[in-house]
Parts: sequence; structure tokens; C-alpha cells
Amino acid sequence: MSEEKNIPESTKYETFTQKEYMIMKDDLLRPIEKTGIGGKIWIAFLTAVFFAGVVAYYLQESRGKSVTTGLSDYTMWGVYISNFLFLVALSLSSVFMSAILKLTHFEWYRPLSRIADVISLSSISMAGICIMISMGRPDRLHYLFLHGRIQSPIVWDIIVVITYFVACVLMLFVALIPSLSTCKNHLHNLPKWQLKMYDILSFGWKGTAEQWKILKRTVFILTVLVIPLGIALRTVSAWLFSTTLRPEWDSTNFGAYFVSGSALLTVAVMIIAVYAFRKIYSLQSYLTNMHFDKMGQAMVLMGLIYAYFNINEYLVPAYKMSGLHANHLLNLFVGENALFYWLVVLFGIVVPSVLPMFKKLRKPFPLTLIAVAVLIAGWFKFYLIVIPGLSHPLLPVQDVPASWSHYTPSLIEMSIVSATIAGTMLLVTLFSKYFPIISVWEVAEGKLEGKEEIINYK
Amino acid sequence: MKKYNYFITMCLVFLLTITNSFAQEKEAKITLTFEKADSLNVCKAFVTSEGQPVIEVPVILSVKRLFSKLPIGDAIATDSTGVATFEFPNDIPSKNGKLTIFANIVDDENYMNSETSGEVNWGTVVVTDNSNVSERSIAAGRDGAPIYFIISSLLVIGLFWGVIIYAVLQVFKIKKLGKIQE
Repeated sequence: MSEEKNIPESTKYETFTQKEYMIMKDDLLRPIEKTGIGGKIWIAFLTAVFFAGVVAYYLQESRGKSVTTGLSDYTMWGVYISNFLFLVALSLSSVFMSAILKLTHFEWYRPLSRIADVISLSSISMAGICIMISMGRPDRLHYLFLHGRIQSPIVWDIIVVITYFVACVLMLFVALIPSLSTCKNHLHNLPKWQLKMYDILSFGWKGTAEQWKILKRTVFILTVLVIPLGIALRTVSAWLFSTTLRPEWDSTNFGAYFVSGSALLTVAVMIIAVYAFRKIYSLQSYLTNMHFDKMGQAMVLMGLIYAYFNINEYLVPAYKMSGLHANHLLNLFVGENALFYWLVVLFGIVVPSVLPMFKKLRKPFPLTLIAVAVLIAGWFKFYLIVIPGLSHPLLPVQDVPASWSHYTPSLIEMSIVSATIAGTMLLVTLFSKYFPIISVWEVAEGKLEGKEEIINYK
Repeated sequence: MKKYNYFITMCLVFLLTITNSFAQEKEAKITLTFEKADSLNVCKAFVTSEGQPVIEVPVILSVKRLFSKLPIGDAIATDSTGVATFEFPNDIPSKNGKLTIFANIVDDENYMNSETSGEVNWGTVVVTDNSNVSERSIAAGRDGAPIYFIISSLLVIGLFWGVIIYAVLQVFKIKKLGKIQE
């Protein structure tokens, strides 16, 4: 790292030649050609967890949610919705760890952008499934389109999730076109169908100046598009809560609070993904210590912003401690959920805001450990937002069973939630097995002094 | 046979106790009267049993609501004349002003459960103004969304989808350029 630092940026890559480009291409395409036994076991494990979730979902729908889940009249949104919020948070990776860095010319984004895009697409796909899973009558899903009211935040959510999903597919695919052509031309020891797939998906890419011009313009437009769209997605998810009259969610801060939390979680998930790909696919030359150093700094920044919104969300109402707010806040601060809440504050806010300030902790391994803690705390944070807020009714109700005021997710629910998380990881893993997980042309372009020269590298 | 003696004795004692306890419960009759004293609504429940006033029997007053009965305060015991006097609130909503009021004796040691009811014109008529139901508003149904809301939503959705469609067309343009090259 220190050696790298001594080389001025302008002279560092000027000797990048066609030969070096070929070496880089081999490095980045190698994971597609070979899948080790560990990789196969990992894929089999994720597939098994995913299908266990499919079976659990079948049981849930065939036996009924009142029997198979812990959901009741009070807590009608359980782990399915808190998990949905978590996955939507991760789906903003494309915004925070790719698009914004790209537009603001942080050159270190280059090997990270595709990883971020794949995580976004995988998580938004699973988040969409989460909506269906939590529906009382999934067979009436199409009613949302046939009978939905445009004034309803649920309808906005459905619209924005679908739009963001399509934008993510495009964002990933358009930037992938030159890489697909590279796969088609340079990978030979693969099944015929796979080569045929590269041929079809590369959309007649020849790498002409005109094609490059259109591709770069389209990537730029999509990069600009995905930022407001991602922020809209996250904000509408927050509005599902803050447009209700429940005191726990009745906050004008909610949209920004959710977006800032999402920014922190995307940094955490990227650190973990980059660490895994770097280790497993031996990509240390491309996913360097510098990337971890930068992501560690980003984590501190996002952690502090998130802390700021948390102060607004919890401490300002706590200063007033008015009526219904007091019930909720005291439950979190000193009540039933206090231990749970303070652990989430510690690992989800304090740890990411403080620990990566130390350079030693921005090294790959310690930073990944921090990121894992942040991600787990992030999942539980959404649990604490959704569930305690529902544990009592808005209007007094007589003769309510005591069990309604407590919610414990059932085994079926946890199996389905695990399946969505395994599904997200499975999609990312499978993508990396069929497509280059690091964008060859974007990294090559970054290494070239005159950026336009990329068209000569084939 | 001797060994069953204890069991038979116990059964007889049990049956005797039940018969005896039922024998103690007498029928009570409640008569409801409604009076207006100044601005107060007063409801009196006169309890008699075998033609005699019954003293110190708790009477529960309630009013019929949509699904069940709403208790009016706590139970009040009858006085030395056999009357339980209730002050009835004057703000109970009603469609036509009429309220059905119930008086009950429940789980008393000496008297069987008893209920009577009467209708009185003490309800507050709720006037609902539904003239704005057909107006367009955020709270309205699917067909009643405000025009500005529909237009602005469609503009935002159209803007994003316009860019997406443009991007898709660009991808096909790339393909077309590839074919020309061949």
C-alpha cells in the first residue's frame, strides 16, 4: 500500500499495454472457466436454503398464515417487511457504491461498480418477492394494478420497485455488453450453450467508435437515472410507514433517515462482497487494500450521517417525551427491547462511525469483520422499526388475547427470510460464475492515460 | 356394598348442596323508568321480587351499541325502596335520537340473572355531512384521485420510463451498428 502511494497517479498506468490488458483479461475471466469444489458446495448450500424457503412458503400458503406464522391482528407486518426494508437498503449499492462515485470521478469505483450493480439487482429481486410473501392473499397481487389507488403509498412502492428493477437490469446489462463480447472471443473451454448465450447477449458488439460512443452515453444516462430512482425507492419504502398515523412512524425525518441507513449498509455489504471475491477469485491486484481504505472512510462518513439522522429520529422526540411517543421510546431505551436496541446502536451506528477511523482497522480483514457486524445490526434495526411499532393497537380493543401484543417469528417465517437472503447471495454467486464480476473495460479504461484509447483494446 | 357407602353419601351431599343453592335464588323483576331532572337524565331501576322491593342488589345499566352493550358507569345497588338511580350521560350518539337502555342483575347471590330494557329519546343525533364524498381527494377511491395528483404522478412515471425506453432503444442501436459493420 505504501509503495503504491509513492507512485504519482499520472505516471502509474502510462505503461499499460495491450499485453498487460491481455493478462488482466485472463485474470478477470478466470473465475468463469473454473469452479472449485468449495464453490460448488457454496452454490449447493445456497440452493438448498432457497428451496427450503420455497417449501416453507408452500406450507405457509397451504396451511394458512394464522397457523404457520407469528403474525396477528396487531403485528401484521413481521419479519417479512423488516427483511424487505433490509433488502431494499442493499439494493441501493448501485447508487452509493457505483453511480455517485462514477459521476463524481472517484476513479477507485471502477472494479467495484459491477459488484455493486449485481448486489442491487439481486436484492431488489428478492425484495420484490418479499412483498408477495407478506401479502395475505398473494393470488390477488394483480389487484394492485387493476384496483390500486394512485394516492396509496403501497401503489407507489410497487411502481418504484418495478421501475428500479428494470433500471438495475439495464444498468448492469448495458455496461456488460463489451465484457460479453470479451467472453465470447476469449473463453473457449465452456459449454456451447454458454458461448451461444454470450453471442446473443453481446448484441453484435464490435467495439467500433460509434458503438463505444452510444454505450458510454447510455451508461451515463442510466447512471444519472439510477440515483434519483434509488433514492425515490428508499424514500417511498419509508413513506409506507411515515404516511400512517402511528406515533412510532409519524416522522418527517423518515425518508432521509432510511436513505442514510441504506448508504451505510451498502458500504458494509460491498466491503463483505469485495473481500469475498478478492479472496476466492484471487483478485488482489484489482480489489486492492486501497479500496478497503476508501470504503472504510466511506463507512465512517455514512455512519456519522446515519448517526445524525438517528439523533433526529429518536432524541428529539425523547426530549419532548410526549404521550404515545413515550411508550415507544421508553420501551426501546429502558424497556423490553432495551438490550436489543442498544446493541443495534452500538454495532449499527457507533462501531461503523468510530472504528474505521483508525487506519489499521481499514485493512481488509478487520474492516470486513466490522462490516459483518454493521450488516447484522442493520437487519435488526429494521426489525426494531417495524415490530415494536405494531405491538399495540391505534384504538383501544377489548378482550384481546395476550399473545397479540408479542410477536415472535415462526420457523416458517425465518426459513423464508433465510431463503431470500440466500437467494440474494445465490444470484450474486451465479452471476460471478457466468459473467466477469469486475468490468474488464472499465478497469482497463481507468488504467489508460488517454481514456478514449479503450476502443483500441480488444 | 359397604365400600360404596362413602361415595354414595358424597354424591347425595353434593346434589343436596346444588339443590339448596338453587332454591335460594329467587326471581327478580326490574322496571325501568326515565325522568328528566333539570338538565340531567335520570334512569331509575325498580327491583321487586314476589311483589316486594329488593334492597342492596347491584344493577348494571348499559346502552345498546352496534355490536354489544356499553356499560354506563359501575353497578349501583338498590336503596331501601328497591330503586337504583343512575345519572345517564347526554352525549351518547344515536342515529335517530333513540337509545335502547338495559338494566341487568348479574351473578347475584340471592337473585337469578335478570334483564329488562327500555327505549328513550336521550341520544345525540349525529349529523354527518357527506356532501363532499363525490369530490376528488387524497382520501377518495381509485376514480376520485385529484387531477393534479394524477398528472404529476404520470409525469414522474413517464419521465423515468421515457429514459428507460430511450436506453433500451440505444441498446438496439448498438446491435444495428454491429450488423452494419459486418
